[in-house]
Amino acid sequence: MTKMNRRKFMTLASASGAALAAGVGGSRKALAGSVKIVEGGKDFSPTTGKERQAIPTTCWQCVTRDSMIGYVEDGRLVKLEGHPDSIRTLGKICAKGQAGVNQVYFPDRILHPLKRVGKRGEHKWKRISWDEALTEIAGKLKELRDAGTPELFMYQYGRHKASQAATMYDFMSAYGTGTIGNHTSVCEASKWVGQESLWGGMYDNWDYDNTDFVVNFGSNNFETHTNHIPTSQRLIRAKVDRGVPLYVFDVRLTNTAAKADEWLPLKPGTDGAIIMAMTNVIMNEGLFKKDHLKFMRVTKEFNATEDQKIAAIKEHVAKFTPEFAEKESGVPADKIREIARGFAKAKSACLVTYRGAVKHYYGADTERGAMLLAAVTNNLDQPGGRVMGVGAGWSHPKSKKAAVSKALHIKDGFPGEVAFPTHHVSHQVWPMIKDGHHGRPKVYWWSCYNPAFINGDNKGVSALMKDESIIPFQVCTTIVYDESSQYADIILPDVTYLERWDWEDMVSANQIAEFSIRQPLVKPLGEARCQGDVWPELAKRIGFELAWNGKEDFVRQSCEMTPGVKEAGGFEYMKKAGVWHDPNAKPNFGFFAKEVDVSGDGVILDTETGVYWNWKKAGSKSADEAKKVGYLKTPGAKGAYVAQKIGDKAYLAYPPNTKFTKTGLLDFYSDNFASKGLPAFPTYTPIPEHQKMAADELIMTTYKIAVHTHSRTAHCKWLAEIKHDNPAWINPKTAGERGIKNGDPIKVTSHVGEFATTAYVTEGIVPGVVAISHHLGRQHSGIYGSGKPSPVSGGAEADSDAKNMWWKKHGVHPNVAMPNWSDPIGGSQRWFDTPVKVVKA
Amino acid sequence: MNEITKKGITRRELLSSTAGAAAGAAAIATGAGPAEAAAAEVPRWGMVMDLRKCIGCRACTVSCKSENDVSLGRFRTVIQEKTHGTFPNTKKGFLPLMCNHCEGNEKDGVPPCVKACPEFPGERATFIAPNGKKIRYRSGGTYKRPDGLILVDAAQCVGCGKCIDACPYGVRSFNPYVKAGKDPTKQAADKCTMCAHRIDNGVEPSCVNTCQGRARIFGDLNDPDSNVSKLVKEHNLAKNVLLPEEGTHPQLFYVDPNNELNTLYTKRQKGKLDHFVDQIP
Amino acid sequence: MGNVRNDQADMAQARSNVYGLLASVFRAEPTTDFVNLLKSPEMSDAVAGLGISIEQILPDLPEDKLAEDLAVEYTRLFIGPGSRISPYESIHVENESNSSGEFWGKQTAEVKVFIEAAGLKYADDYVELPDHVSAEMEFMQRLASFESKSRREGKNEDAMFCKGIQKRFYDEHLSKWIPQFCEKIIDRSETPFFKEMAELTRDVIEFERENFSKKSDA
Repeated sequence: MTKMNRRKFMTLASASGAALAAGVGGSRKALAGSVKIVEGGKDFSPTTGKERQAIPTTCWQCVTRDSMIGYVEDGRLVKLEGHPDSIRTLGKICAKGQAGVNQVYFPDRILHPLKRVGKRGEHKWKRISWDEALTEIAGKLKELRDAGTPELFMYQYGRHKASQAATMYDFMSAYGTGTIGNHTSVCEASKWVGQESLWGGMYDNWDYDNTDFVVNFGSNNFETHTNHIPTSQRLIRAKVDRGVPLYVFDVRLTNTAAKADEWLPLKPGTDGAIIMAMTNVIMNEGLFKKDHLKFMRVTKEFNATEDQKIAAIKEHVAKFTPEFAEKESGVPADKIREIARGFAKAKSACLVTYRGAVKHYYGADTERGAMLLAAVTNNLDQPGGRVMGVGAGWSHPKSKKAAVSKALHIKDGFPGEVAFPTHHVSHQVWPMIKDGHHGRPKVYWWSCYNPAFINGDNKGVSALMKDESIIPFQVCTTIVYDESSQYADIILPDVTYLERWDWEDMVSANQIAEFSIRQPLVKPLGEARCQGDVWPELAKRIGFELAWNGKEDFVRQSCEMTPGVKEAGGFEYMKKAGVWHDPNAKPNFGFFAKEVDVSGDGVILDTETGVYWNWKKAGSKSADEAKKVGYLKTPGAKGAYVAQKIGDKAYLAYPPNTKFTKTGLLDFYSDNFASKGLPAFPTYTPIPEHQKMAADELIMTTYKIAVHTHSRTAHCKWLAEIKHDNPAWINPKTAGERGIKNGDPIKVTSHVGEFATTAYVTEGIVPGVVAISHHLGRQHSGIYGSGKPSPVSGGAEADSDAKNMWWKKHGVHPNVAMPNWSDPIGGSQRWFDTPVKVVKA
Repeated sequence: MNEITKKGITRRELLSSTAGAAAGAAAIATGAGPAEAAAAEVPRWGMVMDLRKCIGCRACTVSCKSENDVSLGRFRTVIQEKTHGTFPNTKKGFLPLMCNHCEGNEKDGVPPCVKACPEFPGERATFIAPNGKKIRYRSGGTYKRPDGLILVDAAQCVGCGKCIDACPYGVRSFNPYVKAGKDPTKQAADKCTMCAHRIDNGVEPSCVNTCQGRARIFGDLNDPDSNVSKLVKEHNLAKNVLLPEEGTHPQLFYVDPNNELNTLYTKRQKGKLDHFVDQIP
Repeated sequence: MGNVRNDQADMAQARSNVYGLLASVFRAEPTTDFVNLLKSPEMSDAVAGLGISIEQILPDLPEDKLAEDLAVEYTRLFIGPGSRISPYESIHVENESNSSGEFWGKQTAEVKVFIEAAGLKYADDYVELPDHVSAEMEFMQRLASFESKSRREGKNEDAMFCKGIQKRFYDEHLSKWIPQFCEKIIDRSETPFFKEMAELTRDVIEFERENFSKKSDA
């Protein structure tokens, strides 16, 4: 290279001048206006006057969605704190919430639409404009829609809630595809299915503020929970300030177990045996409460007497003695008795269950057993008990539905696999796509989801996504290049939750609904765009209109049409305040005991079941015909439910939701279950695979910790710094039998795969188990996630803080050895059932 | 985008107009701010850590990173987590650690870090008490403010690291991004300031603000009615401090009815700071 | 006197042009128009004087193919996904905060305030961050052009003041990161175009150091 000198410089300048005069690059200039620097004197002063704003918004690191205040300085988000006015969160956010700042500015973030130019997985990309990207996508979608096959467009999401979900579903309904996948089966699906079969709806809240006793099966409430901050702070407050006993059944000594009066380690999948045994103790010792019996159905008979019901329950649980449960679970029978007695005698008590209890074979049935235990102690929907959660009910604009609307049957598992896939079977979507017998999408678009990481047999999913012959066109909306987006054909840069509009509706821990909104704290970086702003644009290009023109508009309209919020001042109020709740609202308990007027037009009594229902609403031809066919046998009758006759009164009771046809009674005897050959009454079913394990096999379980979500925080440096390696927990006895010492390299092998890691030999886990957290071992996801700058050659342009990244380990991902096994009842992915061999490597 | 206009606005406005206030002003007033502190002439800031209530969630650790721009590789506050006992009677405990803002020994009231600082006493400075009274004191590379906070003034620091070695708790480190004012070839010492920039504006420290267990209680030990004073009295915490034998007189007290403190605490090894890194096993 | 004034005006305009060229190089993927202009005899000659062979850096391929190759290389180098040489100042300059080396860091705000203090604003359809390399180059282009105009109009004081502002922006921003930025491109380019352009940019920035260090400016 020749050194620059004045002559060369002037020559270059002259040629440049010609180029510039010809308008090169003129269309995308950065700056507008004209230089004004000396007018009015020499007043050029580019000093940064720190302008600080405090803006209320809502978190999205996890599904809890805490209200927050974001502090913005010079256009940069500098700090997040809890919203002091929130009655849900009481002004608190968690470690992940605090690290939300990392989501916006990390240097591996994707800021522009990208189009694949090499083969899938070759990591060759070309930046394209939004216009090009949307034109191409709209073209493919229009083609499918025009051909009358809108269902060949599949959309799958991991975390879409509230208005993020509502806008997406509105678009999809206007477009006409019902092939919409979620991720609930990798989370808690079976828990909801168990609840829906009983009290109609789902989502239990635990009323820690009023409780006197807490028994917890497999919910690590102090570290992670769908409603973490609102519930966990109330639990520790109850425990310390009011001395509320807390017993935790868990495979591991979690933080929740650590703070309990007692940690009760158990064999994975035996929660149900203990729950049934507790009910056994309570029934046999006469500790049960009769209050709830009239709302319970425990035999085929709808009108059984109290005594008949008590006798039936006793008979059902007779074989589940504490000694039986001890044999199954390893928890001493006397301990089960002691806790059962304490639970029953407490004025009020919370029966807590979560994934530890339900992510197993027949997990939905375990949840039904938990509901039974709560019911016989009158702790269902009563202050201090397990209560029906209360969330904000938003009204929102709705667009015109498509004339043709269809869905591929690939969302609910293989035929016969799952009895009640009411929350779908998301982990089987890719295996079903592979199978192909139920149709394959031609366009697959995923967002806030990472199927090649979070599912069982994730290497298998990865291979399918990579194969262009399986799904020809794949679109991904994401903020970071990860295990799945590497196989997209078009990557769309998503906004982070700190750059977008939403309304939120998450359940309150205090039984009073709280409305909150999310608003952009900063402008979206680069060309990042909110999905809610993409949908109306895409609709136009395909040739239809939505009833709203972007996410902000959607939120604005919702605020102006939602009762309560509207009167409080609507959108403008919510922007300033962030949260709203009805100041006159009373905590919502005991809805089932509400008496209902049954004198309305078309309301008839079904004498068999005691259900009052509206034959007109059900679409029956006449009252007589409706009576003849009966409530349970009339299709559509569950939507016409009015009340349940109990004695001579009509109660709201537990109305069926749209998923289970049932009476207003708690269906502890379930026709729905019986008709599918499943246990009609809650029972305990041992995990089949655990009955035939070889002597040297262990059960593999996975878990979450306090500072990471499943797949969306690995790139948050402050979280990665605290948790970046995930050695496998193993009890000294189990380790000793295998000659494994703390820190030894080990190999974990299942029938689907194997991985290598190190052993964390600890007294904090039950023998016979190997446990490994599931958020690490990233293939990509930025320098902090994977430790690798990127799959593209060249070094990291990571932030200078990355030079201080002192850790060298980045963990392993257990899902390579995790089969996609479903709970045959509720469809949950059975994370905690897999037998593995563990050897010193 | 809007300024929040509900309660607490005065403090927020105060913070937003404070030039040079560090990132992240708080939303919640301490309740132990100027109003309460006015009872005593000069506050004596302190903290009580209620070990019963710490659930090991690490929100404090992360919020401190954010509030105080703490680079990777060092922490101003950590949770030490320890599993002990034998299965199935295993226990696990969580111990929050940060600078103890020591009073110093009875003789001279100077904590070991300040004593070790070659730049103490340094520049003269003025502390304005809540009642408006001006109190003159000597600052330095590391120094004690009249309200008891032990602070570092990077401008006066020589980057010698003597305070880092001198602290028996090992809570200090070098800040790779801040040069020592008196020797720019070196890095300045750094540690917890008890969020002095927030306290001075009537807002509680960031770690306290985010603590969902309310395990961290902040306030004025000179005010007998403050929550911290009441807790110290109620639980007789005067000796429930870390390493009492060092005679440093920490102003951080631990509520510890189960006698976990000694079991949970991992002391620093001489010359090392390995104990002061927050890790979830 | 007039000659000196013209000389200085010419130099300022020359500098403006060169910054304009550099802004175009980094602003986006090279368009076919831009490629063709680079291939023009005048430009070829000009850069040949600097040791750059246009034939070598812009191989004789069909227009579409060449544009595609350059776009892919531009994306790989500057856009990502994943690792890239982000064309923003804040990524490359360390500062005393957690924003160090991240998007929208301390420098981003400083550059934005600086540019706006000069009376310019970011275009409404501009989607990049305020401290994108092309925005900084474009800013210098505009300032130098203003200086040139002032010289020609005999407003020497304005011109000198404007030059002072350029020097300040150069000292506080361009010189703090463009050289390293160019070295990274030179190091990681897989095709010669951006490598040579980075070398050119580096040399221009170095040449500017001499320009700004010259005392007499009256």
